[in-house]
Amino acid sequence: MKFILNYFSSVKLAITLLIIITLASILGTLVPQHRTEAEYAMHYGQLAPLLIKLEVTDLYHSWWYMGLLFLFSLNTAVCTLTRFGPKWRKAFQPRVESEPSKIRTLKISGEMKLKAPLVQAAEKVAATLKSRHFRTRQATHEGRVSILAQKKIAGLFGSDIVHVGLLIILAGGIISGFSGMRRMLTIHEGRTLEVPEAGISLRLDKFQTDYYPSGAVKDWKSTLTVIEGEQEILTQTIEVNHPLSYQGFMFYQRNYGYDWQNPRFEILAQKKDDPDFGDQLNLGLGEKTLLSDGQTEVEAINFVPDFIIGEDGRVASRSNQPNNPAVLIEGRQQGERLFAAWVFSKFPDFGQMHSEKEHNFSFQFQNIESTEYSGIEMAKDPGVNFIWAGCILLTLGLFVAFFWPPSEIRVALEQAQERIQVTAGGIATKNKYAFQTEFDTILEDLRRDK
Amino acid sequence: MNESTLFAIAFFTYIGAAFFYFFYLFGKRENLAKMGYTLSILGLVIHTAALILRTIESGHAPFTNMYESLSFLAWSAILAYVIIEGKFKLRKAGPYFMLIVIGLMALASSPLMPANATPLVPALQSYWLWLHVSVTLLGEAFFAVAFVTSIMYLIADSREKRGTAKEGAISSEKLDSVSYRCVAIGFPLFTLGGLVFGMVWAYKAWGTYWSWDPKEVWSLITWFVFALYLHSRVVMGWKGRRSAIIAILGFLAALFTYFGVNYLLAGLHSYA
Repeated sequence: MKFILNYFSSVKLAITLLIIITLASILGTLVPQHRTEAEYAMHYGQLAPLLIKLEVTDLYHSWWYMGLLFLFSLNTAVCTLTRFGPKWRKAFQPRVESEPSKIRTLKISGEMKLKAPLVQAAEKVAATLKSRHFRTRQATHEGRVSILAQKKIAGLFGSDIVHVGLLIILAGGIISGFSGMRRMLTIHEGRTLEVPEAGISLRLDKFQTDYYPSGAVKDWKSTLTVIEGEQEILTQTIEVNHPLSYQGFMFYQRNYGYDWQNPRFEILAQKKDDPDFGDQLNLGLGEKTLLSDGQTEVEAINFVPDFIIGEDGRVASRSNQPNNPAVLIEGRQQGERLFAAWVFSKFPDFGQMHSEKEHNFSFQFQNIESTEYSGIEMAKDPGVNFIWAGCILLTLGLFVAFFWPPSEIRVALEQAQERIQVTAGGIATKNKYAFQTEFDTILEDLRRDK
Repeated sequence: MNESTLFAIAFFTYIGAAFFYFFYLFGKRENLAKMGYTLSILGLVIHTAALILRTIESGHAPFTNMYESLSFLAWSAILAYVIIEGKFKLRKAGPYFMLIVIGLMALASSPLMPANATPLVPALQSYWLWLHVSVTLLGEAFFAVAFVTSIMYLIADSREKRGTAKEGAISSEKLDSVSYRCVAIGFPLFTLGGLVFGMVWAYKAWGTYWSWDPKEVWSLITWFVFALYLHSRVVMGWKGRRSAIIAILGFLAALFTYFGVNYLLAGLHSYA
């Protein structure tokens, strides 16, 4: 037990672990993570099964990386705990008496002689130190007055605060890993979706995409109403960077999409030889309508949002986005097919007409109406509060550690014939130059008004 | 007066500062170094005006593409240098440091870097953009100063050991101490801006505070290297050469996090 404690209280172990974890982390950025076995086989050949077996392909969640982080946490905890007691005593229950011979061995030290009687001399030294914001303690022992002056002593604990913060962050990470959950929700405008995990229903009142004048997307906004039972609890508009938080569940605007189940098309039918002819058609998929010439029937028989002709020569949709919407319309006269044509909303002049007979029609695909849905990610992460608490401590501790440098001055005063022999020495682990200057100034002050 | 004119004037002012610093290196006249320092501050002021103008013109934080963020990094680097030089009188570091700044400015103005201000994609529209990027880059700027003083340390140390140190050269001990002071300022800033603010923003925008994205991992690696620097130094007393080498590696890791990840590794941080 003692051996284990000693082992884990070693800073050498911490440094070794830091180096190993750093190298492992680098490895994880060099080998692409979470790819398919086939991709690994292609890239790494013979090495692929080994990489997969050692979980290098999901390195940051692998048992051995977790294990390293665990050892590192244990090391941090033991180091912090074993050093805390002595540090606490040093700060709050310090030994005040010091021997002049020991003071002289400190890196920063100085000596002088004062004329006043011992008690007054000690008072003067203490007052000078206090005027420089040192906290002083005095002790008299065998005719020698010892003064211990400390400043910014909280700075000693900066690193401990950092370590505690770090441990809380790692604990938060474990909690997130075990009890966090995420799920994608797809809600159509005007509809309500049950969310059993949270015991609520969500209604999407409105979905909106904002654009910049250039046409680039500025933001997506979903107005959501939280319904518990029959009751509407709250309505809030979420957008990217501004999620909805409800009883530990977060709802993020993630993406959006179009529902191409029931699109409607606005199409203008014209005749090349008759400028007065212009029929405004409004069709759904599979719907027919008779043109105003009274004999031509037009039907929308197919639609793709992102038109492409695949390698097999067939029409397909490249994506679900309306990048190149096209509708296939067919014209008939007296039950006989007259033409079939793909009409493009973005390329009005481009049409693929397959005409069986001579005709004069041309079509313009003016608009499509479809319902959009909003992609909302639901997440619950009980670890997150630990993370924030840990982050606050981590940051606070770092600023304390680096911007609140503690220092200590020890002074011994002894009667030496007519005068008082003053021996002073100081310790500062950080900010040594500034401390040296301060120490010299204090001694200078004491010498000046002897 | 528009932003690109001001940027160009700042750039030339920095080049001027570098010239004076280099003349000082050979001429050893105190006034030359003072002139270099004055020009650095003047450049910083003009550069600040350029960044403010950019913010007004584009309507968003001046670090959303590579040109902007390089320009901001150069600005942070000058700011860090002006502070450190003001405090420690490290004039001989001036010429080398100005070279880095000029490199950053040259890279920013190279045609490879898209300079047009483009509207922000939804994920970047957040005040966390200001906090996350500015504090991180400021922290990295102090790492850059530590990088220069660490390299100077290695040179000074080997000269001192061989007894070829020139008169008036900065002592290796001082360089070591200044490097430490820079890391001591840079590390809390980098932790706060890069890791803490990054996690908060990621949670707000992506719904998860940590996703092991390559940029996240590399900033963690940078953090580990500087944690190693501090622990090996404060607790184990590794000063001097080993310390300097770790600080150099740390800055290179920061540089890779900033640059390399974008071009060599794909991930969520695909904005800049």
